Amino acid sequence: MKNKYMNPYLAGTLLGLVLLSAMYIAGRGLGASGGLKYCVVSVVGALDKPHAERSTYYSKYFEGGQKPLTNWLTLEIFGVLAGGFISGAVSKRLTFKIEKSPKISNTRRLTLAFIGGMFFVYGAQLARGCTSGAALSGMAVLSVAGFVTMMAIFGSAYLFAWFFRKNWI
Amino acid sequence: MGPFTSISGFPAWLDLLIAFIIGTGFGFALEQAGFSSSRKLVGMFYGYDTTVIKVFFTASIVALVGSQFLSYFGLLNLNLVFVNEYYVTAAIVGGVIMGAGFIMGGFCPGTGVSALSIGKIDALFYVLGGLTGAFLFAETYPLIQHLADNAYRGPVKINEVLGLTPGLFTLLLIAAAVIMFWLAELAEKKFARPDITNQI
Amino acid sequence: MNTRQKISVILLLLGLILAFLPLSGNYSFHGKPDKLLTEALYENTYFTADQVARFAITEDSTIQLIDLRSPEEFRSFSIPGAINIPYGEMLSKDLESFLNRENIRNIFYSNSDYNANYAFVIAKGLGFENNYVMKGGLNEWYRVVMNSEFSGDKITARENAIFETRTRARRLFTEMNSMPDSLKAKYRESKEIERKKLDGGCE
Repeated sequence: MKNKYMNPYLAGTLLGLVLLSAMYIAGRGLGASGGLKYCVVSVVGALDKPHAERSTYYSKYFEGGQKPLTNWLTLEIFGVLAGGFISGAVSKRLTFKIEKSPKISNTRRLTLAFIGGMFFVYGAQLARGCTSGAALSGMAVLSVAGFVTMMAIFGSAYLFAWFFRKNWI
Repeated sequence: MGPFTSISGFPAWLDLLIAFIIGTGFGFALEQAGFSSSRKLVGMFYGYDTTVIKVFFTASIVALVGSQFLSYFGLLNLNLVFVNEYYVTAAIVGGVIMGAGFIMGGFCPGTGVSALSIGKIDALFYVLGGLTGAFLFAETYPLIQHLADNAYRGPVKINEVLGLTPGLFTLLLIAAAVIMFWLAELAEKKFARPDITNQI
Repeated sequence: MNTRQKISVILLLLGLILAFLPLSGNYSFHGKPDKLLTEALYENTYFTADQVARFAITEDSTIQLIDLRSPEEFRSFSIPGAINIPYGEMLSKDLESFLNRENIRNIFYSNSDYNANYAFVIAKGLGFENNYVMKGGLNEWYRVVMNSEFSGDKITARENAIFETRTRARRLFTEMNSMPDSLKAKYRESKEIERKKLDGGCE
């Protein structure tokens, strides 16, 4: 039997407290796309070291002997994986599932999920933050960058919403 | 006085352990809010489920208010908390690309990973696409570097641009959020789709 | 009341409190660098050591001297009336109460001009007004006020006035700096109390 989701305002307060504790203990906000980036960087570094050293982009993650895998964001994203699992287990929501509108096929949904992920993380790297890192944490420190990025994300999503409506409704 | 990790000599392994624990809290809160469901997340753009805006604004306002009080009582030095740096072009262009990615994929990286952890296969494909996107960016970086570094303004804060004190701006933001919450609940009634909301 | 209304009320109340708390607001650097540089180079921002000597002997309350050297150097000697903000600590202290006082001109000095000029730019960038630099720093002070002598037969009225100021400043400087630490501290404290009265009130 599925449990209902937590009340959004209470969940928001909980999330806000997590963010606040990050600010208080570690002096930074949360982040997500960065964690994915560090995973990619460490894989590239492991498979093709010379390429990583030559590239302007990768080399800065390895200077001074740093390991991208032992970065704050990387550990944090592993934590997200663990935390989501615990929550799902506690609320009996662990199940394999593909979420989509019944009007489209599984293949279409999965393909769009892949492409969407590609677009999103590419944009997140460009804007130096995603909804968690720039928008959520950015607003909590009153940064203009966070605010502008957030407006751009939501505005753009509303603009494209009509074109992808069959995907969801 | 916080932040603690700014105390010199703070061990690196403890810093990473804290990252993991905070991440766990993050993932837990996201999943509890229902963000492990892509149809719930995009509901905000079609009106039938406005959980995103409620959670999002409540969370950032709670953190904002909390950090200001901590600063007032001398428990947190806000000068030592990271403020996102403003690169005008990159923030806007990146945001637009992200918006498209959001509506196509139905997730953002944080929610995608937390959905993956409970078994959503579309989230798996989303995260794989995300890793590919990060790889693409890294490989094509020289082409886009100029755009990414354009129009640097530094860690500007909103209240400074508007000439308000942080406290006053916070109050205005809260007022705006309260109105948005009210409108969101109205929208949910108007654009309700019980067939979807019962499934997710 | 449902959850939304409860949360809204709580947040609004907290927001109201925050809006009226006397928070100093965390400053970041205003102004574009090139504009700042132009202003720093061309504004009338220098006082000569003679002018500062005059401020010191008249205990002028419209200026505030700021010594940018280390606390040890400051304790061994300083220009009477100066407060100590070590240059290295400028960015980690809350400078609002020292540098942003109504109608009071901040005059920065150090051993020479380097740190004083940087401090000027920092103070200006942080949004404080009325910043000045004592040209030549303490090196110039020593050369002009402490060690200079008048040579020649005749002396004009203006030169006489300058000479008098320098002599009085020299005496004040020597007296103040040869006081034992405890007395120096008391002198500074009495100045502090006066300053608070100037600043204060129910603003």
